[in-house]
Amino acid sequence: MIAVEGVVKRFGAHTVLGGVSLTVAPGEVVTILGSSGSGKSTLIRCINGLETLDGGRVTVDGLDVADPRQLAQARRLSATVFQLFNLYPHMTVLRNITLAPELVLRRPKNEVEAQARALLASVGLAGKADSYPGQLSGGQRQRVGICRALAMNPRYLLLDEVTSALDPEMTAEVLAILARLATQGTTMLFVTHEVEFARRISTRIVFLDQGRLIVDLPTDQFFAADGGLAHPRIRQFLSKMAPSSTVAGAPVSEILA
Amino acid sequence: MRHAGFTWHDGALLAQGLGVSLGLFAGTFLIGLILGSGAAVVRHFRVPALGTLLHTGLELLRNSPVLVQLFLVFFGVPALIHQPLTPVFAAGLTLSANTAAFVYFIAVAGLDAVGRDQVEAARAFGLSRIQLVRHILGPQALTFAVAPLVGLAVNQLQVTSLVSVIGVVDLTKAGDILNLRTLRPFAVWAMVGVLYFAAAKTLTLLGNRWERRLRAHAAPLGL
Ligand SMILES: Nc1ncnc2c1ncn2[C@@H]1O[C@H](COP(=O)(O)OP(=O)(O)OP(=O)(O)O)[C@@H](O)[C@H]1O
Ligand SMILES: [Mg+2]
Repeated sequence: MIAVEGVVKRFGAHTVLGGVSLTVAPGEVVTILGSSGSGKSTLIRCINGLETLDGGRVTVDGLDVADPRQLAQARRLSATVFQLFNLYPHMTVLRNITLAPELVLRRPKNEVEAQARALLASVGLAGKADSYPGQLSGGQRQRVGICRALAMNPRYLLLDEVTSALDPEMTAEVLAILARLATQGTTMLFVTHEVEFARRISTRIVFLDQGRLIVDLPTDQFFAADGGLAHPRIRQFLSKMAPSSTVAGAPVSEILA
Repeated sequence: MRHAGFTWHDGALLAQGLGVSLGLFAGTFLIGLILGSGAAVVRHFRVPALGTLLHTGLELLRNSPVLVQLFLVFFGVPALIHQPLTPVFAAGLTLSANTAAFVYFIAVAGLDAVGRDQVEAARAFGLSRIQLVRHILGPQALTFAVAPLVGLAVNQLQVTSLVSVIGVVDLTKAGDILNLRTLRPFAVWAMVGVLYFAAAKTLTLLGNRWERRLRAHAAPLGL
C-alpha cells in the first residue's frame, strides 16, 4: 500500500501541499484530478522520492521514503511514467527499458531483454527495439516510457499526465494501453486531465485543490450529484474539463473498444 | 669557431626529448582528466564543503600562468618542506593539476548540459549516484565535452615545453642543447617546431576521429 500521511511540501514561502493524506491499496486505480498548479505532480514526486518532504510521511509497503535506504527499496516497488517521457536519449529503446531492471533489480540481462521485447510487442513497437528515442513519435516514446516502467514489474505504477504532451491520436494509443493495464489489475496512481477516461478506469478519484485533498471518493460517488459534484470547485473544474475529456471528438469508450 | 655538424646522436637526443614531452603530456593529461572530472562530479552532486574547496582551488589554477605554477611547485614547495623535488616530479604535479583545472570546467559544463528530466527518471527508477554517472551523465557529458577536450589536449601538449625551464630534458630542452652545440638556431628550432606540430596534428586527427565516432552514435539524439 502507498500511504501518504499529512504531507506538507513548500517551495520557499509557497506551500504547495498543505497536509495531504491518501492511500493506494493493491489493485486500486486512483486518479488525482485538480486544476493546474494544484500540486498533483508534486504529490507524485513526493511518492517517488524526487522531492523531500517538509512534513508528514510517505510509505510504500511500509518503507519510509524520507529514509535514503528505505527509499532505495521503495523505488523497486513503484515505477513512474512521466509527462515528458524522460527517456534516456543516448540509449536505444531496448536499453532504456532494460537499464533499471538490470542495474537496480539485478535481474539477468537475457531475461530482462526477453521481457522488454515482449512488452514492446504488446504496445505495438516490436520493430523499434534498436531505435533511439529521438527517432520515435511522441506516442511511441510514451509507450516506451510505459514499457520501461512495466519492466520493473512494479507493484505500483505512478503516472503523471502521461498523455498531456500528445496529440489526440497518440493520446488514444496510450490510453488504450493504460485501460488494458487497469483491467489486468495493475495498481495505478494516475494524474490526468482526461476526466472521461479516469471515470472509466478508476476505482477512486481524489480531487486536489490548492495543495489540499478536498474529496476522496469511489468513482461513481465522485460523479454523483450528492457526492463530488456537490463541491462547487469540482463542478467548476469538470465543466471546464468537459470539452477535452473526449479524444478526437469520440467518447473514450469508443476509442477503447 | 667552426659549427659542429649534426650527428646521429642529435637525432637520438631529439627523439628522446620528444618521448619525454609526449610521456609527460600523456601522463599528466590522463591524471588531469581523472581529477578534473572527479571534481566536476563532486560539484554536480553538491557535496557541501568539498565542492566549494575544489572549485576555488581549480579556479585559481585555471586563472594563473602555468610557468608561475611551475616555479611555485619547483622552487616554492621545497623551500616550504625543506626537501627538494625532482624536475620531472614538479613538472608532472604542476601539469596534472593545471590540466585538471581546465578539465573541471569543461566537465562541469558537460554535466550541466545533460537534461534534468532523464536524470530524475533514472533516480526514480532507483539508480545509484555511481550508476547515474556511469550510464546517464557520463556518456552524454562526454559527447558535449569531447570537442573542448581535444582542443585542451592540443594546448596542453604545447604547454609541456615550459618544463624545460626547470631542467626537464623534454623536446624543447633537447633543442636548446642541440642549439648550443651546433649554433644553428634556425635549423634546430625549425626541426623542434615541426616535431611539435606533427605531434599536435596527430593528436587533433585522433581526437577528431574519436569525436566523429561519438557524434555518429549520438546523431539520433539531437545532442
Ligand atoms: N521546483 C519548484 N520550485 C518552485 N515551485 C515549484 C516547483 N515545482 C512546483 N512548484 C510550484 O508548485 C505548484 C504545484 O506544482 P505542480 O507541478 O505540482 O502542479 P500540478 O498540479 O502538477 O499542475 P499541472 O496540472 O499544471 O501539471 C505550482 O504553483 C508550481 O509553480
Ligand atoms: Mg503536473
